[in-house]
Amino acid sequence: MVALTSAGGLIALLEEHDDALKHYALQNLDTLVDQFWAEIADSLAHIEILFEDTKFQYRQLAALVAAKVYYHLGEFDDSVTFALGAGELFDLNAQSQFVETIIAKCIDKYIALRTKQFESNELIDIPTALEQVVERMFQRCFDHEEYRQAIGIALESRRLDIVEQAIKRGDSAALLQYVLDCSMNLVQYRGFRNQVLRLLVQLYSELKEPDYLSMGHCLVALEDPLSCADLLNKLAQGSPKHKLLGLQLAFDLEEAATQKFLQQVSANVAESADAVKINKILSGQLTIQLQLEFLHRNNHSDLLILKQSNANLDPRNSLYHSSVTFANAVMNAGTTCDQFLRDNLDWLARASNWSKFSATAALGVIHKGNLDHSMTLLKPYLPQQGVAGSAYSEGGALYALGLMNANHAQPLDYLRESLKGSTEDVLQHGACLGIGVSGMATGNMEIYEDLKNTLFADSAIAGEAAGLAMGLVMLGTGNTQAIDEMLQYAHETQHEKIIRGLALGMALIMYGKEEEADATIDRLLHDKDALIRYGGIYAVALAYTGTGNNKALRRLLHVAVSDVNDDVRRAAVTSIGFVLCNNPGQVPRVVELLSESFNPNVRYGAALALGISSASTNSAEALELLEPLLKDSVDYVRQGALIAKSMIVMQQPSAKEFRTHLAKVLGDKHEAQLTKFGAMLAQGILDAGGRNSIISLRTRNGTNNMLSVVGMAVFLQFWFWYPLTLFLSLSLTPTALVALDEELRPIQLEFASNAKPSLFAYPPPTTPPTQEKIEKVQITLSTTAKAKARAKKKEEAEAMDVTPSVPVSPMSATAPTSGGDEVMAEASAEGDASATPTDGKKKKKEPEPTSEIKANLTRVLPAQEQFISFAECPFQPVKKTHMSGILIMENTRPDLPVAFLEMNASKLKNAEGAAATAEEEEPAPPAPFEYPFDD
Amino acid sequence: MTKDDTAAMDVDPAPPAAPVKTEDAQALFLADIKHNVALLEKAVAVHETRFVTRVLRTTSAIRRRLTQEYLVKAITQSLPAGNALASTYLSKLDADVMQTDDDATATPAVAPEVEAYLGLLTIVFLHDQKKYQEGLDVATSVVQAIQHANRRSLDQIAAKVYFYYARFHELLGFEAALRPALLAFHRTATLRHDHESTATLLNLILRSLLNANLIEQADKLVSKSGGLPASASNNQLVRFMYYQGRIKAIQLDYSASHNYLQQAIRKAPQTAATTGFLQAATKLAIIVQLLMGEVPDRAIFRPTAMRAPLEPYRQLVLAVRQGDLVKFNATVKDAAPRFAADRTQTLIARLRHNVIKTGMRLISVAYAAISLRDICARLGLDGEEDAEFMVAKAIKDGVISATIDHARGIVVSSGAEAAADVYATREPQVAFHHRIQYCLDLHNQSVQAMRYPDGVKKSSKAFSDLDEMRELEKEIQQSLEEDDEDF
Repeated sequence: MVALTSAGGLIALLEEHDDALKHYALQNLDTLVDQFWAEIADSLAHIEILFEDTKFQYRQLAALVAAKVYYHLGEFDDSVTFALGAGELFDLNAQSQFVETIIAKCIDKYIALRTKQFESNELIDIPTALEQVVERMFQRCFDHEEYRQAIGIALESRRLDIVEQAIKRGDSAALLQYVLDCSMNLVQYRGFRNQVLRLLVQLYSELKEPDYLSMGHCLVALEDPLSCADLLNKLAQGSPKHKLLGLQLAFDLEEAATQKFLQQVSANVAESADAVKINKILSGQLTIQLQLEFLHRNNHSDLLILKQSNANLDPRNSLYHSSVTFANAVMNAGTTCDQFLRDNLDWLARASNWSKFSATAALGVIHKGNLDHSMTLLKPYLPQQGVAGSAYSEGGALYALGLMNANHAQPLDYLRESLKGSTEDVLQHGACLGIGVSGMATGNMEIYEDLKNTLFADSAIAGEAAGLAMGLVMLGTGNTQAIDEMLQYAHETQHEKIIRGLALGMALIMYGKEEEADATIDRLLHDKDALIRYGGIYAVALAYTGTGNNKALRRLLHVAVSDVNDDVRRAAVTSIGFVLCNNPGQVPRVVELLSESFNPNVRYGAALALGISSASTNSAEALELLEPLLKDSVDYVRQGALIAKSMIVMQQPSAKEFRTHLAKVLGDKHEAQLTKFGAMLAQGILDAGGRNSIISLRTRNGTNNMLSVVGMAVFLQFWFWYPLTLFLSLSLTPTALVALDEELRPIQLEFASNAKPSLFAYPPPTTPPTQEKIEKVQITLSTTAKAKARAKKKEEAEAMDVTPSVPVSPMSATAPTSGGDEVMAEASAEGDASATPTDGKKKKKEPEPTSEIKANLTRVLPAQEQFISFAECPFQPVKKTHMSGILIMENTRPDLPVAFLEMNASKLKNAEGAAATAEEEEPAPPAPFEYPFDD
Repeated sequence: MTKDDTAAMDVDPAPPAAPVKTEDAQALFLADIKHNVALLEKAVAVHETRFVTRVLRTTSAIRRRLTQEYLVKAITQSLPAGNALASTYLSKLDADVMQTDDDATATPAVAPEVEAYLGLLTIVFLHDQKKYQEGLDVATSVVQAIQHANRRSLDQIAAKVYFYYARFHELLGFEAALRPALLAFHRTATLRHDHESTATLLNLILRSLLNANLIEQADKLVSKSGGLPASASNNQLVRFMYYQGRIKAIQLDYSASHNYLQQAIRKAPQTAATTGFLQAATKLAIIVQLLMGEVPDRAIFRPTAMRAPLEPYRQLVLAVRQGDLVKFNATVKDAAPRFAADRTQTLIARLRHNVIKTGMRLISVAYAAISLRDICARLGLDGEEDAEFMVAKAIKDGVISATIDHARGIVVSSGAEAAADVYATREPQVAFHHRIQYCLDLHNQSVQAMRYPDGVKKSSKAFSDLDEMRELEKEIQQSLEEDDEDF
């Protein structure tokens, strides 16, 4: 047979009157369409008419031919319409590219329609034929057991029934986890996400072994404290294992939820044996205590770094003075180690005015979490009746009180009294900030009113802090009344400072509100006043933190290149880091061009966006983008790049080069002040919390870490107001592994980390500069040695109460002597007096061990979690997913003796030695294993 | 001049004499292959197609050095024993399949890019050896593997393989069976956004349609498929222009056709390898220009590469210019086989009318009055009546302004147009505008051609190593000079 060269003849047949002829023509065209579509396309109109002719018997065939032609023409929408019109003739099971493409397009269309229907709440007509195709698609997925595929499509097309069906049919536990991950990270519309979460809670409880921890996470995301309390009550009455789970759940809730939420849960926990324990956990006290204990025990801060840097910075310059204060505060945050301050009393005395304020407040950061002794520690600085002290140190002390009790409403009453009792605006400033930090997210209207009264006094200094504090107190409530009042006042007042405070306050109120915040964001962003637009940008950042929402991103990018005000543009670029913090890999691509902008403010923003999103990930891509910014021609861009880089390489053993760079910047006489400030701060961040803390805007469970996000957002305001730098302490999360038993006592145990110790070792302590002579080196070394000896003596003196049954001091258990050696290779060549040189040399030859044994209450880096194993330990964690944070352990060998660790940190003598009374009042622990909680 | 040289763009230089077989040459060759394989693997690892481009750029140099022995060694070196495709290649190369009996052991996975690349080398070699059937078999299996793998990093190699796949079909005379397959591939490539293959396949389909004289279909295909993707390579674009020129010429849209052909000639790489293409395009362009009533520039006949093959066309131009029908007929008759081979016959047949028109104009300028009989003689027409009809038509078309005196059997020209001042008309203005337009277009196209491809900035960053950069530049220069593979 001669091959056909044209379909012209068949097309002509379509014009005939006889249906049989047309049928014949269509049948042939159907088979030839792949070859002659270009020719047939000219007579498409004719074929369409045949399809629309309801009397024509073979109209479905006409539709099929038309669909195929449209498919070849690349007009997929039309193709879908006709394919659906072809009904039965369109064979879904055929293995052809045509069918596959059309099905894919059908699903896309279906998803688009369903989404529109869902979001506009209108009834949009979805063709039944389309629905059938998708239905059949789901059926096919089920038949082939491709449940994840079905769930993906169902989530996108908002089909909860299919999600449920798929979970029930497949491996429920695994699929539930999958859906949870998807809904938290990928579902961008909050309304629908809540529906999915509701469904998940229900399905989790229907499992044979309900996953209570995941249920808890869902309920936190749903903001449903009552169900949470029910869950805890149910667990408390269950088997011993369930009780343990209940405790673990309480810890998880404490980590993820707001104070208000926890208070409501706490109020609804039924009376039971465990209720006291649970309430204690929910109050947050225990977590803070344990973290303090961890930071104190493992304090590896390197005072020599500070000392060297301080020598390079003239303390008469208040900017330099503050920078050292902040670096010291961040470096020692939560460790209660104020050695540096005590060693440098002269330097401290040079602080004046606001640097005095900062210096006093920094004390709060160093003793962060020392709830019990906050008042005693700060007593010498706090305002006292009848004594006229410096307003700056008194205000700073109030702020410090807040920082110590961050997110923990304990000292609120005292702070409110101080606020009301004073007319001094510096003092009010400190009190407002203190109230804001400690009363965060309580949504307490009384406090709000107090702050509002301070605001209405129209004092620039106090008003700024009041505006900010109002936002902090109402954090994440989305309270429209508050927004209205604040916006109105912002328009009325003349003071820029107040407007700035209020703008950020409004942004904070919208924290985590996603779509609900859109109306407010619009109002703020369309304002004439640049300061209010600045707040609007932060509202976008906070409302959409960690959602990766495309709409928010587009908005930010638009503002970043179009706003007339530099501050607003800078904020917009920085905010990209917040919105994308759940997906740090994406940020370098997004800000790549912005980091090369002609506008230094935009470059600065790009640097910080990278720092915020990629914090402590050591992302090579982000570092590569930062590299040119470190050498930027504008001083503050260099500052931003230094801070950002220090955030990214936190806790990485490989940051050696960067440390040298920082030292060089600080030592350079011609370097700009702002850059030096950045370098100093970077040094602090690099060794934050005695090297045991990281900045991470996400919790281990993949939710936003509210404290961290808010701390970071306010910290960034240091651009305008240096004392706000101290908010960075809120962003620091200790990377601890704490194992507790059912009585919430820290157990003495050992576990394995199956990785080379050097991978996750602390960086080696600094050695003094090499260019100095050897004699000199020895001199400095001996001081270090002395300092160490002194520290050790103190340690021994105070750490005697480690349970005698296992005489392992925490330092010797955790100090990674073997790990440090490789990194220290060069250092030890110069004679590292503190390490035993022979030991170091011997070790160098041996291959490095592939695992190490660690004890309870030690540092476990996020990257290290996967290597942690409890295989050889009699205790097993009840939570299997994340091997860090606070873990409740189940004793699998109750027959063995158990030893416990003592809590030392909260019993320490404080800085000035003035508050020794607190310790003396305590009774001695009655028995070695009993943990003295209520000290 | 074979048929290939003129009709197609796949002018292949005769395979050069086999290089001196020394150990060094072989070692060098194998090292080159190894280097290319490494580049391909890198391309896959970092999702960067420019490494594939680099590999393909060296193909022409490698092609010249290919021998049976080298190729077999290269295949066994790069692909593990037991690899299904490798054994296909080797069996078609008549080599012992270096397959140990341990077939059962799982063969290590190789990047499909590497498989396809070696397949491409095998295909090229078989093509040069004129082993078309074997070549087709290999090409078919590679095409299947490529379709199956569906990876974007394969696109550039795929485009080349498709080309040879079609070429083998053509050489073996299986053209009719080819077209549906090409259409299917084209659809797949479009759906997968494989621009390189889409462009190549569209050109192949057009070629197949034009060879079968299915002009109408080809035109419809072009208009319905939306033309070439914007990112198509220059070579594909040039081919496409040429085909468009051919289609438009046959459809009587001469000015469009001329535009396309001009662009094709201008954009084609001006190297020895493209001579065949340039000849074919120039021939067509000459005819089209004549049909438009213009006389081609004499300069285009001058280059040595063009002189001999274009001779018959020069004669044609002369005949048309002089309006010498006799000479025209003689040329058409003499060079008939040539024109048939060039597929320009039909167009040349249309020229006859132009010759007469020109002749008529010359006569009317030269003579105030001339008898119809003389016109017959001058134009070589058969009878007076014919001549009268033609003169009448010419008058009606406005070619000449004259009147026919039937009684005396003469044509009296009014002679106005000869005396008229051409500068008083819009003619110069139009011509001037035309030239300006041409210059502006040329400028715009040059600017466009200068645009950097996306991601060039990134690549410059990646090449922090200056040496590597320099080496690359050298390599590009070299392969540009001897670039004969692409055409």
